[in-house]
Amino acid sequence: MPQIKEERSLAYQLISFIFSVMLVIFFGSIIVTRVLYSRVMLDSQLDNMRHLVHERIYLIDGILEKVEALARTSQDLATNHRLDSAEFDRYLQNLLTDNSQIHSICLADQFKSKAAPRVMYTLRHRFHKREIKNMDYRYQDWFQIPYITGKAYWTEPWVDHEGKGEMVISYSLPLYESGLISGLLRFDIELKYLQGLITDRSYFKIGDSFLVSSTGTIVAHPDQRLVMNQSLFSLAQEYNQDALAKLGAAMTSGENGFVKIGSSSPFRDSWVYYQPLSSNLWSAGIAIDQTYLMQEINLILLIQTIAYIIMFLTISLLIYVRAMSVSRPLKALAEAADRIGSGDFNSQIPQSRSSHELATLSHSFTTMQTSLKEYINTLRITTEEKNKIRGDVIYASEIQTKLIPSNTAHPFGIRDIRAHGILEPAGDIGGDLYHYFLIDEDHFCFVVADVLGKGIVAAMAMTMVSTLLPSIAPYYKRSSAMLGELNNFLCRNNIESNFVTAFLGVLEISTGKLEYSNCGHVPLFIRKLDKSLHTYRETHSTALGVFENLDIGCDTIQLDIGDELILFTDGITEAMNVRDEFLGMKGLEKIVNNLRSTSPEDTAKNILNDVHNYARGSSHKDDITLLVLDYKHPGIGIYD
Amino acid sequence: MHQGASGSDRFEIRFSPKWHPQAQFAGIYMAIEKGIYDQYGLDVILAEPFSSEEALTKLDLGEIDIGHFDLSQAILANRDSSHIVNIGQISQKNSVMLVGKRSRGISSIRDFNNKKLGIWRRTSHIVTEAFIKENSINIQQIPIDWSVNIFIQDAVDVINVMRYNEYYQLLQAGFSEEELFIVDLCDWDLDIPDEGFYVRPAFFREHPEVCRSFLQATIDGWLYAFSHPDEAVDLVLRIMQDANIRANRAHQSWMLEKMKDIVMPSASEIGILKREDFDKALDLSVKYSNLDRKISFEEFYPYAAD
Repeated sequence: MPQIKEERSLAYQLISFIFSVMLVIFFGSIIVTRVLYSRVMLDSQLDNMRHLVHERIYLIDGILEKVEALARTSQDLATNHRLDSAEFDRYLQNLLTDNSQIHSICLADQFKSKAAPRVMYTLRHRFHKREIKNMDYRYQDWFQIPYITGKAYWTEPWVDHEGKGEMVISYSLPLYESGLISGLLRFDIELKYLQGLITDRSYFKIGDSFLVSSTGTIVAHPDQRLVMNQSLFSLAQEYNQDALAKLGAAMTSGENGFVKIGSSSPFRDSWVYYQPLSSNLWSAGIAIDQTYLMQEINLILLIQTIAYIIMFLTISLLIYVRAMSVSRPLKALAEAADRIGSGDFNSQIPQSRSSHELATLSHSFTTMQTSLKEYINTLRITTEEKNKIRGDVIYASEIQTKLIPSNTAHPFGIRDIRAHGILEPAGDIGGDLYHYFLIDEDHFCFVVADVLGKGIVAAMAMTMVSTLLPSIAPYYKRSSAMLGELNNFLCRNNIESNFVTAFLGVLEISTGKLEYSNCGHVPLFIRKLDKSLHTYRETHSTALGVFENLDIGCDTIQLDIGDELILFTDGITEAMNVRDEFLGMKGLEKIVNNLRSTSPEDTAKNILNDVHNYARGSSHKDDITLLVLDYKHPGIGIYD
Repeated sequence: MHQGASGSDRFEIRFSPKWHPQAQFAGIYMAIEKGIYDQYGLDVILAEPFSSEEALTKLDLGEIDIGHFDLSQAILANRDSSHIVNIGQISQKNSVMLVGKRSRGISSIRDFNNKKLGIWRRTSHIVTEAFIKENSINIQQIPIDWSVNIFIQDAVDVINVMRYNEYYQLLQAGFSEEELFIVDLCDWDLDIPDEGFYVRPAFFREHPEVCRSFLQATIDGWLYAFSHPDEAVDLVLRIMQDANIRANRAHQSWMLEKMKDIVMPSASEIGILKREDFDKALDLSVKYSNLDRKISFEEFYPYAAD
C-alpha cells in the first residue's frame, strides 16, 4: 500500500524551499569568498609583513652601518693619522660618549703601542677604561677571526666578561701599520638593544618577529627560550621540520622570501617573511600565524554567515506571515466547502480581499454555492418527478407483464401444444412482446413482435398490439388480415410513428396446419424431432405502422408431430459479446443445433442461458423475447 | 675531612668534570639526580670545570678528590712521577674528527697540505698530532678555543671537532654532512679513548672502596641515562639552563646518543681501561710528546690485575 505523504503547510513548504535555495547560495558564496579573497588577503598580509620587516631592517641596518662607519673612521684615524695611544683613546672615549648605540669599545693595539689591550665603556654616565689582563682574548672570535682573515668581522652574540658582562655583538676590524696588522679595534652593540628593536610588540602586533645570525642562530625572538639556544637548523632537527632547515639555509644565504612552516615547532603553522640585513650576514623575519592571516577572511565569512541567517529568518518570517494571510482565508473557505459538502448550503462563504486570486476564489465559491443550491433544488424536484414516473413505470411494467400469457404446461389446456415464453426487457418496461391465445377451439394464434425503440412509447405500442390482436382475431382469423388490421391501427394511432416487426401464426390444432405472416421480423426456426433445424426466412411485408393498407401475404406449412417452433426477436441475434460482435443468425443456429432439450421450457431457458453466456461482460443491452412451442410432441404426457 | 658537612655518613667526594654541563656527563648528573651516589654512600659535590692543568694542580693540592682527564693527558701528567691513577675509564673511544669544507677544495687528506688547522689549545691533541705526522701532512696549526665560528668564517680551513659536540654545532649552523670532508681519527688506528676518572695514588690507597663505589655509581647513572634518554636530556637541559649555557634538545639528544657508543661500545666494556688502549696511548706519548719515563699499566691503573 503506498504511503500517504504527510501534508505540509504552505508556509512550511515555502520556507523549506527558500531555505534550500539560500543554503546553496550560502555555500556557493562562502566558497567563492574563501577562494577569491584568501589569496588577496594573504597577498595583502604578506605585503604588510614585508613592509614591517623592511622597516625594522632599515632601523637595525642604520645602527649597524653607523657603528661600522664609526669603526672604519677610527681605523682610518689610527692607521693614517698616526695618533698616539693616548690621543686615540680620547677619540674613542668621545665616540663612546656621543653615540649611545655603542655599548663598549675594545682596543687591542699591543703590537703597536705595547700598551695593554683595554676595553672602554660608560656605566651610569661615567667613563670606564679597563685593561685586559687575561690573554685568552686572543682566542676569542672577535680577535682571532679578523686577525687571521685581515677583514672586518661582525661577531655572533657573545658575552664580554672584560667589559660590562652583557651579551653583545661586535664589529671588529684590524688596524694596520706598514701593511701589517698592528692591533684590533672592536665596537660592541648590546644585543638587548637590537632585540628590543626587533621584538618591539608595538611594531609587531601581528606576529613573532625574529633575528637570526649568520649561522642561523636565533638571536632575537619573543620566546626567550629560543634566543641563543636554538638555530633554525636545530629547531628543524628537534621538530623534524624540513621547512625550517630550508628557511635557515635561505636566511643565512642572504635571500628573502616567504615560506610556510608546518604546525609543530615554535613557528607553528605560520607564514614567515624574511629578508637579510645589508650590513652583516644576519637576517630578520616575521612569523605570522596562519589563523591571524585568515582572521579577516574568517571575519568576513562570519559576517556573511550572520547576514545570511538574519536574511533567512527575516524572509522566513515574512513568508510565514504572508502564507498565513493566504492560508487562513483558504482554510476558512475549505471549512465552508466542507459545510456545504455536508449539506449546509446556506453556510456563510468568507470573503477575502487579501489578493486577487483569493477574491476570485471566494467569488467562485459563492457562485458555486448559489448554483449548487439551485441545482440541488432542481434535482430534488426532478427526482421527485422521476420517482413518480418511475413508480408509474413500475406499475406499467407490472401491467405489461400481466398482459403476456403466463407460462403453463399446456396453454388453455390444449393437450397437443406446449409453449414457453420469456420476455426480458432491457429496462423496466420493454417494447418486445409475445402473446398467444385461442381464436376458437381449433385455432391457436401466437405472435412475437418487436417495437422499434425502448421505454414507455415502445411499451405503449406493445400494449396496443397485445390488446388489439386478441380482440380482432375472431373477426379476421387469418394471419395476414390480423396483421393488416394491426398495421392500419398503428398507422392511425401511433403518434411517435414507431414501426413494429411481427411474426404471427395461426395453428389449426386438429390438422397441424400453420398459417403465418412475417412482417419484417426475424425468421422462424422449426426444430424437428430428429433435431434438424428448418429456418423460414421469408417475410410477407415490411414492418408495421409505417405505411397504411399494406398488402401482407402469408404462408402455410404443415407441422409434423413433434415440431418445435422457436420464435424470437432481434434482441437474441443482436446480442453482443465483449468484442462487440453480434451473435447473429449463425450463432443462434449453432446454439439451437446443440440443444438437447425435449420441452419448450428447456429449449427457451437453454437458449437464453447460452445467449447470456455469449453476451457476458458486454454493456450492450436489448429487450430479449423468446417463444418456444411444440406440436404434438411424442414426449407430451411422458414428461408432464 | 671527607665526612659530609651535613653530618651524614656519606663520603664527600669533590669531583670536577672536564667541561661545562652537557650530555657528555649525563650519567654523572643522572647518578646525582637519582640518588645513586647516595646509595653507594657517596656525597658527590660537583666542582666547576677547570682546564686540565688547573685540575691537576687542584688534585695535587687536595682541593678536589676526583678529576676528569683524557687518557693521553693523564699519561703525560705522570711524565715525571706517578701523579694520578686511573680509577675508571668512561670513554672507550676517541671522538676527535677533523673537518674541512669541500667548498674550500678539501676532499682528501692530501688537500690538508698548506692549509690552516684550528686545533684546541688547552687539551692534549696527541692523536691529531700523530695523524698529521704519520700522514706527513704540512698544515699550519692555529690554536683555538671552543668556537667553531673561526671555521665557519673561513679563518681556518680545517678544524678539530668532537663527534658528539662541535661536529653537531656545524650541522646546526646549516652545514650538511655532504658539504664536509670528515676525517674520523678512530678510522686511522688512533682510537685512544678520551676521559676517565683520576685520583691521587694516595687517595686510592686510602679509599679504594670509595673509588670503586664512585665508578660503579657513575656506571649505574649512565645505564639509567641510556635507558631513559628523554629524562636524561631533560635533566641536562635544565642544568644547562640554570648555568646560563646555550643549549637545545636536538644537540643534547645527539650528544647522549653518541655517548652511548663511547661509554658502552659493548656491555662488557663499561668503565674499564683496556691494556691495549693504554699501550697505544703510551706509545703515542713516547713518539709525539717526548715521554721518556717508563710508565707501567699496573702503576697507572690500579685495577690492572683485576
